[in-house]
Amino acid sequence: MSMIRRLLALDGVNVVCHFRDDGYLIEGYGLMSRNDMDRLARFARDYRRMIQGNADQLAMFTNMRGWTPPRGWVVRGATQSVCGVANLVCVVDSSGAPLNEILLELREVSHW
Amino acid sequence: MTKLDDLMKLPGAMAAFEFRGSGELLEQRIAYPDRIDESILDLLAHMCAANMSIATMQARGWEKVTTMKGFYPVQEFTLIGFDWSVVVSGLHREQYKQAGKFSLPPFMGVVMANDKADYEAAFTILEQPESGQ
Repeated sequence: MSMIRRLLALDGVNVVCHFRDDGYLIEGYGLMSRNDMDRLARFARDYRRMIQGNADQLAMFTNMRGWTPPRGWVVRGATQSVCGVANLVCVVDSSGAPLNEILLELREVSHW
Repeated sequence: MTKLDDLMKLPGAMAAFEFRGSGELLEQRIAYPDRIDESILDLLAHMCAANMSIATMQARGWEKVTTMKGFYPVQEFTLIGFDWSVVVSGLHREQYKQAGKFSLPPFMGVVMANDKADYEAAFTILEQPESGQ
């Protein structure tokens, strides 16, 4: 079984995608069409780069260490949230999903 | 006891803060002034305000292009840095907007050390109804 597929076993995880550094979808699983997974992968790649830029600038302007390189991000919507760690992105339920566990698992899987 | 004080009780909490939609820092609590000060929080607040706006644009665009729902309005944004995380919420602002109110409450956020960060607990506090609501 794919390493990232096991993320779907966590409560509240609806979609998980693994993408290359250029945003190309390598593999994706869950309740989403292939077209939308392609879009999600590109979005997550762009968002990751933006977060990296923001963290770099924050560190440069404040001289505060510990922000870079960023490990991930979460955007929490009304009922759906999107979490990104490295080249992985998940769509999860905003309520009821064990977000702490999901982020830990994303981090662990991203090292494989 | 304010919500900022409640946020400071979270494991690993380094600072809690309120800021305007335009990013200006309004109020803060700081646990370790040698590590994070008011000027850093002010810049962090501006970065978070910008990210809330960008994430809102993306959520609207995503819902339009995919017909999926539930991403908009964006309630919280979290940046997980190398050692620190920041979680900010605009949920109460959205609730005020939906109620047709023009004067909106500030955004609220917390900075936590990653090794102790409890994101679910942070969301729970940030989403608690304001006293008097």
